[in-house]
Amino acid sequence: MRFPMRSLGIVLTSALALTACSNGGGDDDAASTAGAASCAPSSGPVTLNYTTWIPGIEKVVKVWNDANPNIQVKVQTGPNGNGGTYQNFFNQLKAGNAPDLGHIEYDALPSFRVQDGLENLAGCSEVTAAKDQFVDWTWGQVTFGEENSVYGVPQDAGPMALFYRKDLFEKNNIPVPTTWDEYAAAAEKVKSAGGYITNFSQSDINQFAGLSWQAGGRWFANDGAKWTVNFADENTTKVANYWQGLIDKKLVSAVPPWTTEWDNAYNTSKAWTWVSAVWGANSIMSGAPDTSGKWAVAPMPQWTAGGTVAGNWGGSATAVFKGSKHPYEAAKFALWLNTSEEALTMLNSEAQLYPATKAGASLPALKQGVEFYGGQPIYDVFAQASTQVAADFVWGPTMTSTYATASDGFKGAVSGSTTLPDALKKAQDATIQNLKSQSIPVAE
Amino acid sequence: MTRKRPVAALLFFILPFGLLFAAFYLAPIGYAIKQSLYTVERTGTFGPAREVFGGLVQYQRVFADGPFWESIGRVLLFGVVQVPVMLGLALLLALLLDSGLVKGRRFFRLAFFVPYAVPGVVAAIMWGFLYSPNLSPFTTLTSKWDLLSADLVLWAMANVVTWVFVGYNMLIIYSSLLAIPQEVYEAARLDGAGAIRTAWSIKIPLVMPAIVLTTVFSIIGTLQLLAEPQVFRTFSSAVTSTYTPNLTVYSTSSIPNFNLAAAFSVVLALATCLLSFAFLKVTQRGGDK
Repeated sequence: MRFPMRSLGIVLTSALALTACSNGGGDDDAASTAGAASCAPSSGPVTLNYTTWIPGIEKVVKVWNDANPNIQVKVQTGPNGNGGTYQNFFNQLKAGNAPDLGHIEYDALPSFRVQDGLENLAGCSEVTAAKDQFVDWTWGQVTFGEENSVYGVPQDAGPMALFYRKDLFEKNNIPVPTTWDEYAAAAEKVKSAGGYITNFSQSDINQFAGLSWQAGGRWFANDGAKWTVNFADENTTKVANYWQGLIDKKLVSAVPPWTTEWDNAYNTSKAWTWVSAVWGANSIMSGAPDTSGKWAVAPMPQWTAGGTVAGNWGGSATAVFKGSKHPYEAAKFALWLNTSEEALTMLNSEAQLYPATKAGASLPALKQGVEFYGGQPIYDVFAQASTQVAADFVWGPTMTSTYATASDGFKGAVSGSTTLPDALKKAQDATIQNLKSQSIPVAE
Repeated sequence: MTRKRPVAALLFFILPFGLLFAAFYLAPIGYAIKQSLYTVERTGTFGPAREVFGGLVQYQRVFADGPFWESIGRVLLFGVVQVPVMLGLALLLALLLDSGLVKGRRFFRLAFFVPYAVPGVVAAIMWGFLYSPNLSPFTTLTSKWDLLSADLVLWAMANVVTWVFVGYNMLIIYSSLLAIPQEVYEAARLDGAGAIRTAWSIKIPLVMPAIVLTTVFSIIGTLQLLAEPQVFRTFSSAVTSTYTPNLTVYSTSSIPNFNLAAAFSVVLALATCLLSFAFLKVTQRGGDK
């Protein structure tokens, strides 16, 4: 019994000693300012480290390495961002050994910027010159709508559309919904035919964000002096009430997303539609192989009949981390990776990435019919949607915790202990609390 | 004993352990405590963070954090039920192995222990599938009682933890049973004690230290529950990002808010120390009588 007590004593004293020695050392980091990095080429051969979770990226990087003996890229793959790679990035930034380049989704860029983890590439003239090559809203995501700031090179986008089971809709004489009202009406019919219109994503809040984005909900605003957090504006609440209605009437299933159960629901024709992003095409193909040829893609249902507004779910940028010794070379590689036709074609064939460039929409690979979708040239639908995504959606600087608290609430709504609007209100309060605890200025 | 101490030899033997202990135990704890005393300051919406000494600010946040204390309550409830069940089973299995009633003792000893060799995450995923209302091989059961619902998921996890650790605890108790001298049994037999009487009055009291040890391990393990809820979070709508204290620490550090996460960790470590001590004190008093 004495041993633990003594060891506790040792721990406490040594801790105090450590604290005492290291006081006053913490202020050095503050010297680094938000100014753009100088973008001078390095002399001699350079090796860049690049961390991503794109499947098949090694092949793409090999093409670059073969053509650029003086700028060799070493690629490291890991789980997707929220699955662990972001945590690694944050830890590496804290420890001062982050890679040169990293894969960061648009919604996580502000979190990395607020942790002072990103190199501002506005000093690289090649990067600023590439502005017009990118779809406007993706450029807005990496510049935060500010002058003289570019915190990454846009890579892909996730314009949303409606994936639906063409065979089942036809067999049951259900018209393909073009508005959300029609979608709700279709849900009733699907239910009576023994299915669910879709599966409500209780733990991946990004889908809901995309739906709110379409409806005109704006969750965050940043006026330079303060953040504003609002998950309860009229438009977001409209979307929340809509889905709460479907949940209450048991018209949607609530299998946790990204699980085998979820795949199973689609593969066994229990779920008939999915309002998802362009990369969802791949998720259905891999998750529901037995339904090949039975799917089709239509534009996202609209809030007003005849409307032409799409939402976005996902999409990412290639960012250069603070502390990279070779920002010029890193930026050069990122530009090649995300604008050259050879790289974009490979990224699409290996990983179904949908390019963020304007020219990318007319890649030959994106013009072909897709067998799994009955031969429909589905990317045409997404190319159109891509131009219909509003450019002014802003992500907050602590999305990880926002997603976590919102998801805790959404899970409650699905199991009946709360409602989606309440869950959003709670997530808003928690987010404000969180910003405050990190001294990030926020309006009450 | 000579007065001259072989200092060099002592150092030689202690140093490897001492260095590793300092590097991988004391230093991280010290660093965590240091981190927990700091807070960040910044100007503007994207101003870089400056770490400044904040005293106990982070601890105020910890004590004001409702979900964290709820999660402590949850794991305590978990422990109060799961630890006695698990250790009771472990003791029972150890006594059975030791009683000579069981044929193939070696086989069973290994068989009971095998689940412990399965990594915790793998075990949780496997049980997650068994519990799933749609994919389980026992859907007739799981569709009637949703083991992943808010009411049952805690006990579904308790079952996983029990499954993994019963064999491990059994082995500790069993090895302690093997260490009991044969004379004691002989004396008991001469006094006319049967198998059950021997188990109750001789074996259990003599392996009490092992049971106390396994209980302390289990209390620590319970408060630090992470892998099971982390895995079940993807399956179950009842498991939130703050379901157990360690999950709260994990979620907080992934924001990333390292200072607050450090404060959570320190408080959790102290709570664990406190509980283990309290348990040891109570059992020790009982033993002194």
